Amino acid sequence: MDFINENLLTILILLPVFGALFTLGHALYWKEEKDLKWLTLIFTVGNFIVSLLLLGKHTASAGGFWFEKNVPWIKAINTNYHVGVDGLSIWLVILTTFIMPIAVVSTWHAVEKRRTAFYVFLLLLESAMIGVFVSLDLLVFYLFFEASLVPMFFLIGIWGGENRIYSAVKFFIFTALGSLLMLVAIIALYYYYAKATGGAGTFDFVVLLNALKSGKQLFSVQAGSLLFLAFALAFSIKVPLFPFHTWLPDAHTDAPTAGSVILAAVLLKMGTYGLMRFNFALFPDAARDWAPVFITLAIIGIIYGALVAMVQPDVKRLVAYSSVAHMGFVVLGMFSFTEQGMQGALYQMLNHGVSTGALFLLVGFIYERRHTRQITDFGGLANVMPLYSTIFVITTMSSIGLPLLNGFVGEFLIMIGMWKSTILSTANGWNYNYIATMLAGTGVIFAAVYLLWMVQRVFFGKVTNPKNKGLKDLSWREIGLILPLMVLMVYMGVFPKPFLNKSRDAVVAIQQRVVGQAGGTIDKADATPKAEH
Amino acid sequence: MNTIFLQIQPLLNPDVNVRAIMPETIVAVTGILVMLYDSFMPKQRGVTTALSLIGLVIAGGVLLSMWPNAPVTSWNGMISSDNLRMSFSIVALLTTAVTILMSSVWVERENVPAGEYHALLLFATFGMMFMAAGNDLVILFLGLETLSIATYVMAGLRKSDLKSNESAMKYFILGSFASAFLLYGMGLVYGATGTTRIAEIAQMSGNANFPALLLMGGAMLVIGFGFKVATVPFHVWTPDVYEGAPTPVTAFMAVGSKSAAFSSFVRVFVLGFPLVVGAQSSVFLHDSWITALSVMGMLTMIVGNAAAIVQNNVKRMLAYSSIAHAGYALVGFIGAGVAKTPAARDAAIASVAFYMLTYAVTNLGAFAIVTLLGQKNDRRTDFSDYNGIGFRSPVLAFTLSLFMLSLLGLPLTAGFMGKVLVFRPALEAGSPMLTVLVVVAVVNTAISAYYYLRLIVVMFFRERTTEWTAPKIPIGVAAVLLLTVLGVFYFGIFSDGIIEKFSKSSAPATTSAQVK
Repeated sequence: MDFINENLLTILILLPVFGALFTLGHALYWKEEKDLKWLTLIFTVGNFIVSLLLLGKHTASAGGFWFEKNVPWIKAINTNYHVGVDGLSIWLVILTTFIMPIAVVSTWHAVEKRRTAFYVFLLLLESAMIGVFVSLDLLVFYLFFEASLVPMFFLIGIWGGENRIYSAVKFFIFTALGSLLMLVAIIALYYYYAKATGGAGTFDFVVLLNALKSGKQLFSVQAGSLLFLAFALAFSIKVPLFPFHTWLPDAHTDAPTAGSVILAAVLLKMGTYGLMRFNFALFPDAARDWAPVFITLAIIGIIYGALVAMVQPDVKRLVAYSSVAHMGFVVLGMFSFTEQGMQGALYQMLNHGVSTGALFLLVGFIYERRHTRQITDFGGLANVMPLYSTIFVITTMSSIGLPLLNGFVGEFLIMIGMWKSTILSTANGWNYNYIATMLAGTGVIFAAVYLLWMVQRVFFGKVTNPKNKGLKDLSWREIGLILPLMVLMVYMGVFPKPFLNKSRDAVVAIQQRVVGQAGGTIDKADATPKAEH
Repeated sequence: MNTIFLQIQPLLNPDVNVRAIMPETIVAVTGILVMLYDSFMPKQRGVTTALSLIGLVIAGGVLLSMWPNAPVTSWNGMISSDNLRMSFSIVALLTTAVTILMSSVWVERENVPAGEYHALLLFATFGMMFMAAGNDLVILFLGLETLSIATYVMAGLRKSDLKSNESAMKYFILGSFASAFLLYGMGLVYGATGTTRIAEIAQMSGNANFPALLLMGGAMLVIGFGFKVATVPFHVWTPDVYEGAPTPVTAFMAVGSKSAAFSSFVRVFVLGFPLVVGAQSSVFLHDSWITALSVMGMLTMIVGNAAAIVQNNVKRMLAYSSIAHAGYALVGFIGAGVAKTPAARDAAIASVAFYMLTYAVTNLGAFAIVTLLGQKNDRRTDFSDYNGIGFRSPVLAFTLSLFMLSLLGLPLTAGFMGKVLVFRPALEAGSPMLTVLVVVAVVNTAISAYYYLRLIVVMFFRERTTEWTAPKIPIGVAAVLLLTVLGVFYFGIFSDGIIEKFSKSSAPATTSAQVK
């Protein structure tokens, strides 16, 4: 047991890789692909069960991380395989392992061609995603961040829809461009540390953070700002924040259902997670300086995403644009720099994973039946598929943020947080924090508009299209698939406490660091440039 | 010191040290043996292949056994034994061995005179190794010419093919032209410093007799070497020559010639023209070449990538991509030039060597597959010829994809480690120009994703409309693929030991120039 506890995160990362190799070996040896989905399912479920051990007993290390493991990787450049989780990442890891089996089952009949490669890529993707959330070495983090692109690129490109090639390439290049600039920033940090300490540089996040916390000035304010932007660009593209969002609708629309679910539920969270973990903790001063810009972009994203979603003829595209709006909320909450706002942002990340993941699944169900996603092709589905319609409406409500469902908790916390925030100016009797909150609030109304309008057009009224008359309602597999998500929606909406309790310490630590009450670099950093002039 | 022109140096007893040039000798002797064997017993491809490989492996073993702990020179300072030499020689030997292995399929298909071809390859390797080992401008030039002349011939090996002839002719004329520049530059440097030894040039560069001559000599050398490593604006010959030459030869040129040229380039500039603080002429020279190379590096990356995007032929695409990669390697090179301590400089030089190693492994693997799929006369090298072969021949397609991702520099592959290592020293300097250089490099990396991915897109995402049968993978190519795939992962994940070995300490007396 000790062995498992000590290497828990490594096991989580390597188990899917092992599964991928096993799957490949199985396919090559037996020359058949039918059992592969079972194999993959076993491995993903196994990984989920292992990940639940994270919730068990743990001891925090000096850096405040649990299940930490730190072994040298490449000594010549002083990079270590350093992993660990805390309240910020633990739920995201579990979300990943939780979504994966669902994604696998969703492909039960959907993936007909080239199954071996499909399941191998799926498993590799899982290990890359877990790696992103647990790495505490910047270079290793970058490695997983980039590595997650490749399987997704193949998933979209081979098993995707009509425009899959365009979408896959766009997805790859957009994200790669952002993250490469982050690489420059990571290497620059290495040398800033070396220069400040006079010794070797480091990529270790914890070491860098401790150095900054202890008041060492690693970089000037301008350099800090540039580094912040380099990191933020990578993450903003991933989130995606307006105006970097254009890859998302394409990628979502053309990805296979499993790909869309993973993309929405996990991949986008890498961006917001990265902002919170690295940008806020390493560059608190720059984060405060740039907050107005990010808040503005987030609000534009919320409103713009909602407005564009409203006019989409394609259900999947509509959900994709709703993602832009929802992720705008998350960014808004983070940049409010209040406990409620940031906790809400983290909570909303999980909510979005659950409810948007569910929406994509549901869209996938109907696509498998009708091979179309155009709203105009449907109408009156409630008459032929009552169960499906019920579940769809509940999921929509969760996405809109109806009280007692999960979306409400997150959005409410974010708005309280923003309302109480002091990050925007309050000059001339205008409290811009209030204005930001109110503008974001309109996003909730818009969300209700576009989602309910879509629901009305798809599900209610008479069955106009004869092709829809004979549609079968959900099968047991599909019900089993969506049920865990429904349970979570209600549970998270009614009883958010266990989630929020677990993450509080980590989130508050980051918040304190940004607002500068935990003994940071703020005073010194603010003082030095003036002295230089 | 001003009378240096008239100063007649006393004749020295030649410091003969056969052991110091043992690996080179072994390679040359093997070449001669192969040639002799072929003239008496022609057309025995298997034997000459085996003979050449054995020679290369022995040379490699000897080379490894003499890896120095500290830099030493021999032959009156003409040959140096340092990490720069060792690491680049390893790259050279590896390149040739892999080229020979991958050529097996082509040699058979095109009925090439195998003996001549293998002998030429070995002589070229001999030249490459001397370019890495030479600590004297004359030795460097000798090595360079040995390499070049062998390559001119190899480019034209497909005698009946017009494109191959064109390639050889172009390469020969332009190559000679560049050699002339190089030689002129060497002459001017000699004129300015009175010596051809790199170490002595370094000491004189702060105290040159004719600073203007030294500067002009440096400029000529930049042009000459710039041509050899194919940097913009001296790259125009590359695509035509690479496309026309037989594919294995293209691989050899793109990897071997380029890395050998880099080894001399680095030695002459980083070790020969260092910054001597306080000496006006040296500061000016150093600033000039750093600036010139930075601009060239940026142009090289931008032009190489931009041109690669529009290519429809895989070989041409790889040719332009190799131009871009010269640009990335230049980033590490410039980082070595501006390094503030000898240790940092050595680490930067090692990063360039490591970059060339990763590039060699990746590119050779890619070329091996292109050779195999090319069929007779390399006809099938357009992107459209790769349409939809992904799942028809998964082994070839997935390994080729891996090489593309490594060229792109994706984590866990060799290319990633290479890029991280060459970007580091340039950022360490902390100067705005070099930071911009690195930013240009990463933006270019993102751009390059487009054409590297395009090959993957073509292979996996498109359907094939015409008949196509997967070729059988002959044993030679299989060995190459195994080696290169393992190499790509090994250098990407377990590169610790190699980087350590490459950067252990290098560079002879020139450090004293900096200390002064």
